[in-house]
Amino acid sequence: MPEPLLEARGIVKSFGRVRALRGANFTVLPNEVVALVGDNGAGKSTLVKTLAGVHQPDEGEILFEGEPVEIHTPLDARRLGIETVYQDLALAAELDAGANMFLGREIMRPGVLGRLGFIDKQAMRTRSREAFDNLGVALQDTAAPVATMSGGQRQGIAVSRAVTWASKVVFMDEPTAALGVVQTRNVLDLIGRVRGQGLAVVLISHNMPEVFEVADRIEVLRLGERVARFRRGDVSMEDVVGAMTGAITHDTQDDLERPEADRPDQDVGPDAPRR
Amino acid sequence: MTDVTTQADRPELDDEQERPAPFWQRLVAGSSTPIGLILAALVLVFSVLEPNAFLDTANARNIATDAAVLLVLATGMTYVIITAGIDLSVGAVLVFSGVVSAKAMNAVGGDNWGVIFVGLAVALAGGLAWGLINGFLIAKAKIPAFVVTLGTLGMSLGASLVITGGVDEREVPFKLITTIGTGRAFDQIPWLVIIAFAVAIVFGIVLAATRFGRYTYAVGSNEEAARRAGIPVDRHLMKVYALAGTLAGLAGFLSLARFSTTTIGGHDTDNLQSIAAVVIGGTSLFGGIGTMLGSVFGVFIPAVLDNGFVIVGVNPFWQEIAVGAVLVGAVFLDQLRRRSQYQR
Amino acid sequence: MTRKIWVLAASLAMLAFGVAACGSDDNGSTSSGASTSGSSSAAKKNYKMTLIAGVKGDEFYITMNCGAQAKAKELGVTLDFQGPDKFDASLQTPVVNAVAAKKPDAVLVAPTDTKAMYAPIKQLADAGTKVALVDTTLEQADFAVSQIASDNEGGGKAAADTLSKLIGGKGKVFVVNVKPGISTTDARGKGFEAGAKAAGLTYVGQQYDDDDPAKAAAVTKAALAKNPDLKGIFATNLFSAEGAASGIREAGKLGKVKIVGFDAGPKQVEDLKNGIVQALIAQKPAEIGADGVQQAYNALTGKPTEKQIGTGFTSITKDNLAENAAALYKPSC
Repeated sequence: MPEPLLEARGIVKSFGRVRALRGANFTVLPNEVVALVGDNGAGKSTLVKTLAGVHQPDEGEILFEGEPVEIHTPLDARRLGIETVYQDLALAAELDAGANMFLGREIMRPGVLGRLGFIDKQAMRTRSREAFDNLGVALQDTAAPVATMSGGQRQGIAVSRAVTWASKVVFMDEPTAALGVVQTRNVLDLIGRVRGQGLAVVLISHNMPEVFEVADRIEVLRLGERVARFRRGDVSMEDVVGAMTGAITHDTQDDLERPEADRPDQDVGPDAPRR
Repeated sequence: MTDVTTQADRPELDDEQERPAPFWQRLVAGSSTPIGLILAALVLVFSVLEPNAFLDTANARNIATDAAVLLVLATGMTYVIITAGIDLSVGAVLVFSGVVSAKAMNAVGGDNWGVIFVGLAVALAGGLAWGLINGFLIAKAKIPAFVVTLGTLGMSLGASLVITGGVDEREVPFKLITTIGTGRAFDQIPWLVIIAFAVAIVFGIVLAATRFGRYTYAVGSNEEAARRAGIPVDRHLMKVYALAGTLAGLAGFLSLARFSTTTIGGHDTDNLQSIAAVVIGGTSLFGGIGTMLGSVFGVFIPAVLDNGFVIVGVNPFWQEIAVGAVLVGAVFLDQLRRRSQYQR
Repeated sequence: MTRKIWVLAASLAMLAFGVAACGSDDNGSTSSGASTSGSSSAAKKNYKMTLIAGVKGDEFYITMNCGAQAKAKELGVTLDFQGPDKFDASLQTPVVNAVAAKKPDAVLVAPTDTKAMYAPIKQLADAGTKVALVDTTLEQADFAVSQIASDNEGGGKAAADTLSKLIGGKGKVFVVNVKPGISTTDARGKGFEAGAKAAGLTYVGQQYDDDDPAKAAAVTKAALAKNPDLKGIFATNLFSAEGAASGIREAGKLGKVKIVGFDAGPKQVEDLKNGIVQALIAQKPAEIGADGVQQAYNALTGKPTEKQIGTGFTSITKDNLAENAAALYKPSC
């Protein structure tokens, strides 16, 4: 059984009188795409934000590569190699694409100027353009404020940012929500590529066909707790929806037991990951 | 950074696209250009109406000197408003800083650069103190900026009245008055104007080209996104308000040098004037947008109007109506231009 | 879209132009621009003068302007009127600077601070403008062609005598003053203090209100709270008298505390009629204004000038109000 890369155990989180998470568990294995699904209000975004350092859990623990960790701030999560594409994108609308890509991680000018605090806008623009091109995000003017771009372009920037910086796990909260057909295809392909490079991807989505296309495993959250976990190959969409509504529970660990030889597309070819 | 490459061809990096536009092109197309043009239009109008009076070197010098203190205030206010905040206490902090500075200089006694330096240090410290109080209450205690700075306005002005007994402090080292207050470089440009412009230029560069400046825009544009990106938002806000307070302190020192009295009653509208200057200059009250150059234009538009209306002979009671109307008109035009740019 | 913006920009410029052009007719001048035709003979030049008040909305200065305008008309001189929003040197300086740019032939100015206003006003004189100091003056006033003011110290003493009569010759008296550094009100306070002590009254002190009626009301109420047996108050100028009267009324001490105020604006006269204020020491602002214009004119035409002119004052009570109607200040000309 592979050791989980990231694991949440018994997370409890309340906001005032609302108990968003009631002892939620979650597991992310290395090099996989795991989908986190659930009905509205199940606690998916809250769980992701807790693991990303935006919220602090009231109870519970988080383990990273087997060791307990404290993720108090987004910086802590970043240091572990965890990046997030939030549902609201978390972009600064008045800043340009390069500025957003490097937000909080600005490239400083070399030498004395850098130590005085001067940033290298040119370098940031160039490097972010490279990343956008690699990931197929088309922007007419990288110097324009992000607010002047379409929803799809903005989502593309947010996804590029997380993918570019992450070294272990990428959380994506409804990444295709605002996208058209072609862009959705790009993101799904991207998810596959990202996983192949050694990153784990956590995908929150309402879109079952998408989930079934890219995910290796599916974990179901209901009313702030994990109620089911499946290997994608073992289950049907109806079963998953059933778990979301409470008709079925399946919180065993059999989704972890079998080796990953069942995963489609990745067994052969030069890109096949080595075990 | 994970390098994610595709099997498809990487598009050639287009050099032409990546080099920034030449300086003059950025200036012409820049966001503060329309306001600059409006300022130029006003100067033109008054020059045509009263060429001998308005276009005079001495008059230009007077306009600049009259605007110098406000320019220093507007520099700090630009940062504050870009973070989507506001600082109503600047005029009162200016008065407070002048008061404690004057008292300190009189306590030390003498008429030399040493005592002037003491006065400057005390003025800056006074402004910084109120700025930190503002920053702490806004960033940490999460009280809205409007409320906090309204409170510190009352407290700092009240403190000034307590310290002085309600009476202007009118003893100021003579050397201060003759050098910084009324002195000129090369016998032409008043030191007050040089200092004010130096402040605007330095902090304009910081705003445009440093990480501190970028964080200011980021926090104003989307505070939550900045937090999630790991930017220390609370600490940054404290620094911004501390800066505004310190600059108000400098402004108080400069005003003291110029008038040789603390002019307690003369700064009631400084806060609204500096906010108006910054907003006219193109900075959005909602945060994330603005330039220092715009604020400079924004300071000079009311200054030119005030001066021009007196020269042309507008009835003093009509002046306020006229200045207000032109202000609203100028911002309206700028908003129109912005909206057309952002439409998608 | 951009075309629309430029059209609006052009309209804005024209608006500024229009306001400025229209506004300039409405400046109380006698004959705007009629310098070459009609009334002027070859020997008489149309001199341009400006009166810079201490503060815009004060009936004292408005009355002064009326008197000055009348004299200007008589002499064939153009007179502008300008002033700051509040009685403060930091606000008056930009006004003086702007007036300096017009290089008028003469300026009548009421300095808001004896020291701070020296530099900007001197600038006027250095450029060749004849300067007459009206009402208030500067610590160094050698360059002025004339200083015209009431005998403020004498006025303060007269106020003390009037108040003494009103409260029966003894008791506690208090002064509501403006702020130090104003030559006129400083002198009134000084004259009152000397006069009160000479008359055997108990002088409990003076407080400043920064020429703000609201603050004047506040310090009055505070003084009443501190001295419940206060018998009389002397308010040294128009806004102070207005505020002191409000303070008395709000404290419920109407009639129990007598007020003598300096200046006789419409509000003070109302208070006088209603018995809130018992006496007003009216200056002669119209005379000061007219004298100012005359002295400036003399200086411009090479005639002799008087360095110092002291104008008188009138003591007004409810009883003699009718016969002293001419001494009252006007809210407009």
